[in-house]
This record gives sequence, C-alpha cells and structure tokens, in this order.
Amino acid sequence: MAPGLLVNAQQWAIIMSKILCTLLLVLASGPTVAGPSLTVPNRPDTFKFAVLGDNGSGDKGQYDLAEQMIAAHQVFNYGLVIMLGDNFYGSQTAPELVRKFDRPYKPLIDRGVKFYAAIGNHDEPFTINYPPLNMAGQRYYTFVRDQIRFFVLDTNVMDADQLRWFEAALKQSPEPWKIAYFHHPLYGNAGRHGAAIDMRVLLEPLLLGYGVSVVFSGHDHVYERLTPQKGISYFVAGSGGKLRKGDLVPSPTTAAGFDQEQAFLIAEVATDELYFQTIARTGATVDSGTIPRLTRPVGTN
Amino acid sequence: MNNPHVLPSPPVAHAARAHVGRWSQFPRLLHFAAEYLLLLPVGAAIALVWANVDAESYFRIVFDLNFFVTDIAMVLFFGVVMKEIVEATGRGGVLHPWRRAALPVVVAGAVAIVPAWMLSATAPMFGEPLVTWGWPAVFGIDIAFGYFVAMLIFGRHPVVPLFLLLALASNALGFAALVPHAISTQLQPLALVSLMAAAMGAAGVLRWNNVRSVWPYLVVGGGLSWCALIVGGVHPALALVPIVPFMPRGTTDPGFMVDAPADAHDTLNEFERWCRPPAQAALLLFGFVTAGIPLKSLDWGTLSLPVAVLIGKPIGLMLGIALAPAFGLHLPHRVGWRELTVVALLSTIGFTMALFFATVAVGPGPVLSELKMGGLWSLTGALLAWGAAWALGVGRFARHPPDARR
Repeated sequence: MAPGLLVNAQQWAIIMSKILCTLLLVLASGPTVAGPSLTVPNRPDTFKFAVLGDNGSGDKGQYDLAEQMIAAHQVFNYGLVIMLGDNFYGSQTAPELVRKFDRPYKPLIDRGVKFYAAIGNHDEPFTINYPPLNMAGQRYYTFVRDQIRFFVLDTNVMDADQLRWFEAALKQSPEPWKIAYFHHPLYGNAGRHGAAIDMRVLLEPLLLGYGVSVVFSGHDHVYERLTPQKGISYFVAGSGGKLRKGDLVPSPTTAAGFDQEQAFLIAEVATDELYFQTIARTGATVDSGTIPRLTRPVGTN
Repeated sequence: MNNPHVLPSPPVAHAARAHVGRWSQFPRLLHFAAEYLLLLPVGAAIALVWANVDAESYFRIVFDLNFFVTDIAMVLFFGVVMKEIVEATGRGGVLHPWRRAALPVVVAGAVAIVPAWMLSATAPMFGEPLVTWGWPAVFGIDIAFGYFVAMLIFGRHPVVPLFLLLALASNALGFAALVPHAISTQLQPLALVSLMAAAMGAAGVLRWNNVRSVWPYLVVGGGLSWCALIVGGVHPALALVPIVPFMPRGTTDPGFMVDAPADAHDTLNEFERWCRPPAQAALLLFGFVTAGIPLKSLDWGTLSLPVAVLIGKPIGLMLGIALAPAFGLHLPHRVGWRELTVVALLSTIGFTMALFFATVAVGPGPVLSELKMGGLWSLTGALLAWGAAWALGVGRFARHPPDARR
C-alpha cells in the first residue's frame, strides 16, 4: 500500500470523526430558534406584551411555541404575557403544573416576564392560587400597566356579583386604553364552539358603554381576528398549545385567521395605536396590523 | 302478628283506593301528566329550538325574563310544593307519623352525598373541573315526573310512598345545600331576620285569629317574606315556604298531588286552587328560561352530572339501606332489592329540581349550560327505571301476581 494513501485514510478518519462530533454537539444542544422578523414598530417607549391561550397541554406543540415566544422576547422585550385560560389540561398535580407551565416558559420567567392568567373551563379551580399565574386567588381581577387597564374575567360563570364588579371597575377606570380578556369568545367562527352568545348579551353592553378597545379570548383552538364588531376589535387566540387544525370556518366577520399551527401574539401599545403580530409555531408571521384606540365609548357623542 | 317496623301503605291517591288494576289508573295519571309534566318540557323544547336557531334574540329575552320567572313566578310553584309537604307531614299524610319518614330521610342523605362526591370525580375526568361548582344539582329529584313513572310501574305499592319521601328529603337537602350559593355578597342579615320575623309573625297572627281567606297570607305574609329574602340578599323563590305552614288545613290529605274534593274549602286547598294555574304557567316559563342551551357550546363536562347521578344514586341508596338497620329502621313490607333498584333509577330523574338547583348554584355561562343539559339528560332515568323494572320483573312486569309471591 502506498504511504500517501495511508495518510489520506488517516486524514479522512480525523475529518469524519470531527464531523460526527460536530453533529452530536448540534443534536445535543437542541434546535436553535431564530427570532421572528418583526412587523411591529418595536419602539423603546411603548408597552409590550404577549397573548397566549389554551396553552397548557404539556405536549410538543406547546413547547415548540414556547421556544418561539422565547425567541421573540430576544428581539421584542415584552414584560407581560396575558393568558386566556385553559392554562392546564388534564392532570393538574404539582409535577404536571411544572411540566405544563414552569418548564416551557422558564427562560421567560427567569428574565422577569410576568404572566397574568384568566381561568378556562379545563382549569382546576385551585389553579387561581398558583403563584406564577398571578391571579392572587381571584377568578376575576384587574391591573394596570402604563396607561392600559386590563380586565380579566371568568366567563365560565358570569354571576351577578362579577357583572356588578366589572361595571364598577370599568366606571372607575380613567386609563385611556381598556383591554378585556377571558376564555370564551364573544365573536368567533370556529366550527367546534364559535361565539358564546349568552356571554355576548351580558358583556357587550358594558364593553361598548365604557370604551373597551380590544378583547382577547381563547377556547377555540385556532387563531382568528374578527372585523371590528360595533367598533371593538376581537381576537380568538386559543392555539397556544392545543390546536384544532382546519376548524376555522371563515365568514365575512373574519378579518384574518390561521388554524394550521399553534400561534401567539405580540403587541405593543403606543399612545393611540395597538400594534400586533401573530407568530406561528414555525416562526412565520401569520397576521399583523394596527388597532386604533377608541377615544370614547361607542354610541356616545 | 303485627310487625312494628312494617308500615301500612299511606294514602297515595283516591283513585288508587278505588281501583285495583294499574291500567285503570291511566286516565287519572294522564290528567296528572297534563297538569304537572307537560308544561315544563314544552317550555324547554321551545327554548332549545330557539336558542339553537337565533341564540342572541333568545338570550336577550331570557335575561329580561329571568328575574320575573325565577324570583317571582317560581314562588308560586314552590308554594304549591310546600302545600303538598305540609299535608303530607300532617295527620293522615304520607309522611305521618314521623317513623314513616325516618327511613327515606336517612337514605336520602346517602343518595345525595354519594353522587355529589362522584361529581367531584366525574367532572375532572371529563376535563371540566369547574362543573363541580354545581354540586347541589345532584340533590334534585323531580317529584312529579318520578311519581308519574313510579305509579306507571308499580301502581299502588309501598315503594311509591318510599320514593316520594326519598325525593322530598333529597330536595330538602338540596335547598339546604343551596344556602351558601343563594346568598350573594349583598347579604343583609339584619334586614333578612327582621323582615322574615315580621312575615312569619303576621302569618302567625292570621292563623291565631283563624283567618280562612288565602289572600292575607299571600299578600301580607308572602309579600313580607319575599321582601325579606330579596332585601336580605337571598334567592326569593322560596318566599312562600315559611308562610304556607301557617295556612289552616283540612283534616284529611287527599293524596300526593291529588285534587281535593270540591267541598274542601280549607285555606290550603283554596290556595292550591288559586295557585295552580299560575304555578303551571311559571313552570312553562321556567322551562323556557332555563333550557335554551346552544348545543355547540357543550363540552364533555355535560356528561358529568348524568354519570354522577346514574352511578352515585344507586350506590348511595344501597348504602343507605344497608346502614338503616343501625338506626333501627327497616324496609316496608314487599320492598326488596329489586324494587329498590328501580327506585334508585327513578331518583336519578333530576329534571325540574336539577335545573332549579343548578340555576341558583351557578351563574349564567358554559358551566351552567352543561349542568342544565345534564339535568335534561337525567330524564333518561325514567327509561332506565322502566327497563330495570322489566328486567327484574317488578311492578307491572311482575312474573307472578303479588299475592302468589307472598
């Protein structure tokens, strides 16, 4: 055998082993997710938040979307995630709560991002006391960030006490931006559930009467943005973990929709505009736009 | 020899005394069905169709009507039910003497507790843990519907009054379970107690003076009682419950939900004669305002209530019967495990009472929709009871005449 050929064989062995090692290292470190290309302005002085619904499945879909949320946070520094209910599915023992919440969102929690949850129909009642959800044992509550007042409702049971509380909280809110979120959508075109009409009859007069600009809901495992209904912008974002592929039945009230992958929203609020971008599990942007602030309650002069 | 624990059959109905054959009771039962059973399902059917065709207009009407129906009109329905209880517990009534009621009351505890516990297991199992908030609904047993089916199956048999007592006791427990739900955050204990004392005091004075007209009891006693509950922050549908016992009554009980003779002019019967048509209208409206459920809104949690009662009530009843000897209580004569199995299935018919308990326990929303649909599905208990009676050969399906069996 020629000596040159032996050297070549040794060199090939070294090269191949290096390639193998590199491949192993890449596989061991997991997939790297690049941040999405932003369509929102991402101004330094605006308030930024993310919207996530029906996420608590604990399966790969939830974990993949969590990776996208983490990647988005690297380029879009949101400090708040509003959760639209069904924060946990199935077993809700302590280890399962960790598997379905703490573990997928740990990098965000470590960076100081706060989650504020609404309760969904699959959540155990005791989860309102789960500290990372920041519900402080309340089924419904309100909080303020910058000039935005968030109202979090429990649409599983809309008792008279909650309605009275909601109206009083709306009345007392001087903030220019009012955003409501809860689990069951007042408008929606998904095939499985669609709109919760009884809730719409109860809540819509209050939303209109007190100038709520935007409403986020989940429950149906799709993403849908409705054309403004009586001036209010409605989103269904119930595909944060669970997904019902192909369930959206678009109608004239559908402004945009996506039911092929899990999705979440990022949003930023400037003085009179709310910019939003909807990002799918693959990292693709599936919807984006701007919502103007309602300057006065609809129907008033 | 007389067995001290074997109780004589209480007076179930005039007609039952007059006729031996069960088929001969059909005209009377049909009359009973027309009066007590048809109106609520008619209202419920209209509501179900409307809510699934044009939900928005349905809910707009229902939320406007809701206060009138559940807080005002249903006062009359529960007044009529209370009249039956007063007569049944009085001398000559189904529940008199107290020994007759003891066994079903003890059993009712188990019949109520086991399915309530089961609901806490079935609701999470079906992925809807919040449905457990409606647990008082499992206590509801539809007395009129259950009685109708029981009479169809058994005719005049000691197991029928046993079922009635069980239903009354279970519903009474249901009302007790509702107390924390019926009390809103607007509770005003002082107003509640003082106004209710005035209401009962006024009714007591009327009775003391032997006032026989029904109107002073209704207007003064009932009015004050209703104000006491609504101002005090408690659901006012039960406003007549503390007032009806003060009304003078006749010396005999014609039977459970049986018309009094035309010459019976005691205050209780006058009350029932006046009250029955509006109470039936209340039932029709109650079916309409409660049963309109958009079917698309339902999830698997709908099954929680029917499964909990279908499994839990038979287990609870058998447990209660097994425990009864410890309290010195024994089953009536001619009632064995086969009859009890049918009674257990009859007790799963929640219907009117389940709808009412659910409505008071839980506010509007998807959880209430699922509980109410579960309450409607509980009507299948009638079919199951009928099938069980056939399979076990009891009542009208007895393979041997009762005399031959003995």
